[in-house]
Amino acid sequence: MASLSTNSLSFRAPSIQSSRFSQVLRKPSSFQAISFGSFQSLKSLRLQISCAAKPETVQKVSDIVKEQLALSADTALTAESKFSALGADSLDTVEIVMALEEKFNISVEETDAQNITTIQEAADLIEDLVQKKPAA
Amino acid sequence: MAAPFTLRKIGVPPNSANLTEARRRVFDFFRAACRSIPTVMDIYNLQDVVAPSQLRFAISAQIRNNAHVTDPKVIDLLLFKGMEELTDIVDHAKQRHHIIGQYVVGEGLVQNTGSKDQGKSDFLKNFYTSNYF
Repeated sequence: MASLSTNSLSFRAPSIQSSRFSQVLRKPSSFQAISFGSFQSLKSLRLQISCAAKPETVQKVSDIVKEQLALSADTALTAESKFSALGADSLDTVEIVMALEEKFNISVEETDAQNITTIQEAADLIEDLVQKKPAA
Repeated sequence: MAAPFTLRKIGVPPNSANLTEARRRVFDFFRAACRSIPTVMDIYNLQDVVAPSQLRFAISAQIRNNAHVTDPKVIDLLLFKGMEELTDIVDHAKQRHHIIGQYVVGEGLVQNTGSKDQGKSDFLKNFYTSNYF
């Protein structure tokens, strides 16, 4: 960012017309470079988030899953248990996502919801959405 | 607070091309219905009578009732009727005792709680075709 500003400052010295043109020409290329870099860092950031869901979120998700699928209170639910392994069909999965939406007061998009297969993924998505949501 | 959900009234969309798209429409309908539950509870004052999870269960039970259907056009029609019902409820075109009677499990009328006839009976199938079998 700092390098970009110094470049624009130095170009202001020659004629204004050409400097504006060159600034406009310069911006897209540098912007592309920046966005590409941030895309890669976003990927690694996502990897970090997947390990960092809070245990109480995971616990709440497990409670909702148990209630929805009518499992007994002492079935062991690890963070990696898949919904389909617990006896949920696709409608059950959608219902669980809706219950989570209500509980955490978030709104899950359809594309995100299709990728949820385990409890850990659900907890991560919830954490993501709770952080992104503007603090009301 | 998540943005309040409003039911948009879209015209009749073209038929689903295949089962996958019909499936997607079923889930979209289910999501729309679940997101309208807070509005419905507000309109009909159901806060003390039923919990949102029970209403979700009632909606999913109705969908599961027809889970054996495989023809996309039939699924489209069922969804159309479901959407019509949902729009009526959200528009306050129904009354409280209708909602309680039809969707609050346990106190409601028992008519639709059984699963539909799956066509297991060969006798009836042959009966419909001819007298001699």
